[in-house]
Amino acid sequence: MGKVAAILGLLVASLAVLVLSDRSLPPAELTVINRSEFNTLDPQRMSYLHDLRLAYSIYEPLVRWDNESPDFAIVPAAAERWEAHDDGRTYTFFLREDARWSNGEPVTAHDFVYSWRRGMLPDTVADYSSFFMHIDGAQAFFDHRTRKLETYAELEPWRKAARYGGDADVDSAESFAALPGAAQRDLLQRAAENLYQESLDFFAENVGLEAVDDTTLRVRTAKRIAYFLDLAAFGVYCPVNPDLVNSYRRINPDSGRIEQSFDWTKPPKLVTNGPYVPVAWRFKREMFLEENPHYWNKPAVKSKTVKIIPINDPNTSVLAFETGAANWNSDVTVDYVADMLEAKDRGEYEWIHAFSTFGTYFWSFNCTPTLAGGQPNPFHDAAVRRAFTLAVDKREIAENVKRSGEKPARVFVPPGSIPGFDNPEGLPFDPTRARAELRAAGWFDRDGDGVPDNASGTPFPVVEMLYSTGSYHDDIALAMGSMWEEHLGVKVRLIAKELKIYKDNLKSQNYMVARGGWFGDYGDPTTFLDLHRTGDGNNDRGYSDPDFDRMMDAAALEQNPEERMRLLAEAERYTMEETLPILPIWHYNYYYLYKPPYDAEGRPQVGGLRGISDHPRLVQYLWKLDVIDEAEAAAMPPRSPRDADEPSPAMPVRTGAAPRPAPPAADEGAAS
Amino acid sequence: MIGMIVRRLIQLPIILLVIYTITFLLAWSLPGEAVINDEGRQPPAAVLDQMKKQYALDDPVTFYFQYLYRITGARYAYLHATDRGEEAPYVFDFGPSFKYEDWNVNQIIASSLPVSIVLGMSAIIIALVVGLTAGIVGAIKPNSMADLATLAVALIGISLPSFVVGTVLLILFPVWLGVGSVAAWGGLGDMFLPAFTLSLPFAAYIARLTRMGMIDELHADYVRTARAKGLPWRKVVLKHALKNAFLPVLSYLGPATAFAMTGSFVIETVFSIPGMGQHFVDAVRGKDLFMIMGVTLIFAGMLVLFNLVVDVLYRWVDPRIE
Repeated sequence: MGKVAAILGLLVASLAVLVLSDRSLPPAELTVINRSEFNTLDPQRMSYLHDLRLAYSIYEPLVRWDNESPDFAIVPAAAERWEAHDDGRTYTFFLREDARWSNGEPVTAHDFVYSWRRGMLPDTVADYSSFFMHIDGAQAFFDHRTRKLETYAELEPWRKAARYGGDADVDSAESFAALPGAAQRDLLQRAAENLYQESLDFFAENVGLEAVDDTTLRVRTAKRIAYFLDLAAFGVYCPVNPDLVNSYRRINPDSGRIEQSFDWTKPPKLVTNGPYVPVAWRFKREMFLEENPHYWNKPAVKSKTVKIIPINDPNTSVLAFETGAANWNSDVTVDYVADMLEAKDRGEYEWIHAFSTFGTYFWSFNCTPTLAGGQPNPFHDAAVRRAFTLAVDKREIAENVKRSGEKPARVFVPPGSIPGFDNPEGLPFDPTRARAELRAAGWFDRDGDGVPDNASGTPFPVVEMLYSTGSYHDDIALAMGSMWEEHLGVKVRLIAKELKIYKDNLKSQNYMVARGGWFGDYGDPTTFLDLHRTGDGNNDRGYSDPDFDRMMDAAALEQNPEERMRLLAEAERYTMEETLPILPIWHYNYYYLYKPPYDAEGRPQVGGLRGISDHPRLVQYLWKLDVIDEAEAAAMPPRSPRDADEPSPAMPVRTGAAPRPAPPAADEGAAS
Repeated sequence: MIGMIVRRLIQLPIILLVIYTITFLLAWSLPGEAVINDEGRQPPAAVLDQMKKQYALDDPVTFYFQYLYRITGARYAYLHATDRGEEAPYVFDFGPSFKYEDWNVNQIIASSLPVSIVLGMSAIIIALVVGLTAGIVGAIKPNSMADLATLAVALIGISLPSFVVGTVLLILFPVWLGVGSVAAWGGLGDMFLPAFTLSLPFAAYIARLTRMGMIDELHADYVRTARAKGLPWRKVVLKHALKNAFLPVLSYLGPATAFAMTGSFVIETVFSIPGMGQHFVDAVRGKDLFMIMGVTLIFAGMLVLFNLVVDVLYRWVDPRIE
């Protein structure tokens, strides 16, 4: 017994040491639950929604969106004003004099040049590098640097030294070998630095991005783009502090590449220019933000401290919110969301909030001529794709399968999300017309077995529906598949794969029909429509249509904004009514949990959260969020229940502060 | 004994190399692109090529040896010896994480392993206390009500999946009774529910091992002799019989501890605990190569070391074993 007890005692003692060495952070004025840990705090390398949301609160781009205005207006941020020149391609930004980094140093135009150049460099390997290619010369700079790096990496060391080292005495393998080891390494290091300098010179000469002085930044875009200011407000365009980032990078003498250590994003090293600065970040546990002491607009910062907790498990994150662990749960994905919304309609649950967003759930058609196995692909024919689209009752799917308030979609660009853009009608649910389209394409039941056959008597191949496991896609696939079986007579097979395999199949067009989804990045229809361009990196459908490409090119060249929007609307009509590379199902909703600022009787509530934007673009600024305390609640005037900000039960989801009402997509399925 | 320890420690790197190679082959053959974000915007092809080049993802042989060079400490030693102006941040450098780009695998293990150790050890301690007690109670009066009750509880402990137990406990304590909190980690109170949930299958198994061992021992001749000499029953059970019945428990304890520390994926998810178990699953799902290799090697190393510790303890508890 003594020895057994000793073993136990040893375990307990070592445990106690570990436990006592680990303490939680203090509570904050605002606590937010995120669904996952941040992937990176480096703005140029961001691509996840939760990362970008943080970027808007710890960094400050030149301009930002007013997320409370109906048209999502661009307002000054780090730049106090800007001028758009007459050529439609040049912008001059005037930075505010009092813009400061969190270490007190001024934010200059040079910082922006540095950061945007970083986004263009192939060394940075940024997901969103294509966003910087809108700047004149950026693509040439990317290509130039890529080429230089490739050539440099293949040179023998002495050639690297001879060509770039700047030492005239080294001109052969022998003269290089004769140097002592340390001198060789110095020379190679110098060679790599010079290679980089050469790229910087190329940048200065060829790229339309220039710091005229400390507070003036001039940008020239490659083409006239109507939405450049929208890009400049996007997260990846936020500045990083050059001194900080430079102290964590090194140039590899062998490859010539800039190698980054990302330790600079860890507090307390991190320096930011936004309303907050992270002061603690414990991986997968919590992040703590404090107000940036040098921020120019401190009165705008409502909560002085913010804590962000990542909780992966959807159910746990709801329980955590319900037991008071946070003021805002920013991503609710439990499968009982539909029940929570129903409880809310009955007035039994006030915390769940649904918002329509800037995204669309769809299924992709493989548009290539042959399938992966070499057999002909029936979906290569646009008429077949139209037939399959007409045969899907999206309202049925949204209301009775998904059941959480999504708006059925007939088009790709979410209606009402972009001012000045009029969506086309899209295709309705019409089984009769669907069968007619399929028949016109040469597919109808010729041998009486119920399955359509083509002219040579081959039955329509079994339609394989590819999707990734672990979400609602199987329900949707079942519903859609049965509609196709019922209305078109085809046979359907569901294929569920792990995410990575699904993605692989999608990329290599190894599928017939596959689930997909897309969220827009900036306030222009091209953020969606570019997906259908021939060869676009996100065109998983292999859709290639010279007519569509021509329409998009024509729109890009159009100078008149209204005419441009009209051309884009025509391009969308073409893809949503004629060629159908994708089959839109619904426009995504996003679900939040928070205590509303007013209760059902319109009285202000302590603990209610103010400042959440309901615009479909769904940009939330943490610094605008304010948890109502007792003093504030007492000072707030009550509100009549009628104009409470909660949607009425008949219309569970708001259309956002859209400038015009949603188009009649709501009566999807009326044809049945 | 010293010889045994030395022999085992020499075996360790060989075992790890074999595991490294197998893990590498399996991880490399996972389908999909390691460096991209599956749900978001795809980088241009040229950028993707750069990404792959950066980590030698375009060539398995280079990758295999480059990574071996880093994790064995050879790179660290080389850079230190040659003073090339380049710093190796870690002796054993497990590389970056593709998914959590700001963190490298060393940092992730450093932050999650202590959490897993605390959780795993708490669970093992609870399992030992509960399991031994239940086993002894059952063995003293086999087939009594107390014995059947503990057996039934043990059966439930083994059969009920931990996400069910965990969720029920979460709803019962923090949500309904207001005791403790959801998704918190750090305080002693936060630890009890997850540790208890994690301990259940281990406790059940320990209870069964103890009960079986004790029933055998209590019928052994030396127990009868001890009783005949007039030794009190309590002392016979706790001092003599338990010591021998504990040996199978002890040998189970090695792998059990390693598993409790790393195999707690479900518990970590349900209770939102920043431990290491989740990285096994997430890394494979996301083809986060360096992470897969890192956590697997750490786990393998722990398994070998815990087995060694158990063998040493074994000899200490029972000096007859050579």
